[in-house]
Amino acid sequence: MTTTIDATLARRVNRGSGENAYKCYQCKKCSTGCPVAGFGDFHPAQIMRAVQLGLVDAAVDSRFIWLCTGCETCTTRCPQGIDIAAIMDELRMIAREEHRVRSDAPFANILKLNYDSFRRWGRLYEVELLALDKTTRPSSLTDDVVMGIRMFLKGKINPLPTFGDRAQMKRMTDVADRINRDKRAVSRAMDLPDTAPLPPASPGGVR
Amino acid sequence: MSRVAYYPGCSLHGTARELESSFVGTAVKLGVDLVEIPGWECCGNTAAHATNRLLATALPANEMAKVKDDMGLERIAVPCAACFARFMATNHEVEDADTAHDVAQVVGRPYAGGVGVLNLVDFYHDEVGLEALEAKAVRPFAGLKVAAYYGCLLTRPPKITLAEDPEYPTHMDEVLETLGCEPVEWTFKTDCCGASLALCEQAVVVELVRKIIVNARACGAQAIACACPLCQVNLDSRQGDIKKTDPSWIDVPIVYLSQFVGRAIGVGAADLGLKKHMVAAEALLA
Repeated sequence: MTTTIDATLARRVNRGSGENAYKCYQCKKCSTGCPVAGFGDFHPAQIMRAVQLGLVDAAVDSRFIWLCTGCETCTTRCPQGIDIAAIMDELRMIAREEHRVRSDAPFANILKLNYDSFRRWGRLYEVELLALDKTTRPSSLTDDVVMGIRMFLKGKINPLPTFGDRAQMKRMTDVADRINRDKRAVSRAMDLPDTAPLPPASPGGVR
Repeated sequence: MSRVAYYPGCSLHGTARELESSFVGTAVKLGVDLVEIPGWECCGNTAAHATNRLLATALPANEMAKVKDDMGLERIAVPCAACFARFMATNHEVEDADTAHDVAQVVGRPYAGGVGVLNLVDFYHDEVGLEALEAKAVRPFAGLKVAAYYGCLLTRPPKITLAEDPEYPTHMDEVLETLGCEPVEWTFKTDCCGASLALCEQAVVVELVRKIIVNARACGAQAIACACPLCQVNLDSRQGDIKKTDPSWIDVPIVYLSQFVGRAIGVGAADLGLKKHMVAAEALLA
């Protein structure tokens, strides 16, 4: 396995999330409190180290970032005050931007469908989300069918959408997308990739 | 009678309908006038803050601007813990001038904070108050042992939720005690149930849920009280999955705090909605 090193990773994470991964000194409090640390490939302290070192394969491509429930235990307990959960969010955004979402990360699909659903209706339409997940992620077809039927019979599942103020939702998402896109473009332009040729040294100058 | 804005959130119109009916039922009996925000939208939940931070901050700001400017109210009740956390995050983030500027662009008007956000526990503990609650408890419990389960987002992260004691909160225990229940001391008060991983990483959620319920039972709880739609649905519905591999499993009812309150102050069975639960809870709260 080859390892890609991207020296800009910690800076990009910082610009998106406002968090400084370099403050982490590997006490591992985040990992000991993490409810899903035992279920993935890495645990939070390892992800933090990977961000510091620019190990994109370990950080952005990890399965762990798609297992994080956002429980905020790491963020609450970090002695350095790092919002670690926000860093996980940022890595998920980078993974999406760079089309690096792994295929065995079903939560990525759920989050995307969820995002699309509330933007479409103004509110989350639970039944639509579940139905679309089953059609876009075939391995989920047989999951929880019996439970779903039982919940439906108990009246816990609303088959119809309820609508928020859809015009205002559209307005807000359009503006937020535009501002977000502009900011992230500026952010990317500030990071020269490591492989870019160095600018020519000025004659007699000291670089 | 106090007047408070009300934001149900998506779950309360879907999988957590009994949270809505029991919450509104208790508010009526407790003399709090809930005014639902017209045309409320989704708070954005995890999907927004994992995709577009600005939109995630703006969605609750849009609701709170309506509460403040259009409805003229100062406080908002948000019974879903996940929505509550998003509203509190917005109040925290708009303290930053640049963020507030961008949020105003998105929402179409400024929101600089100032609306108080009440979660389900705050509503009974602070808005109603324990003394008033005790006075209305016409059918108190006779020492039912209950584990108060807070989950993640009622208290974490404390810089956002402003929770006094994020690792071992007690306000829900105090409400339960006021109702005549006997809250148990236990270890998993603020552990994560797995949240929406339940839709796709079922094995993880079943294991997290199992640990939480085993600890509650070991500490003497006959039921678990919760204040979050995701916590309730996970703990309630996943016990069926646990039983597939552990036939000796004994079910523990998972009951919303609003249902405990409702039972004690005489809210009707239809509004309590205990029939909607997967693990039978009616006998325990009869």
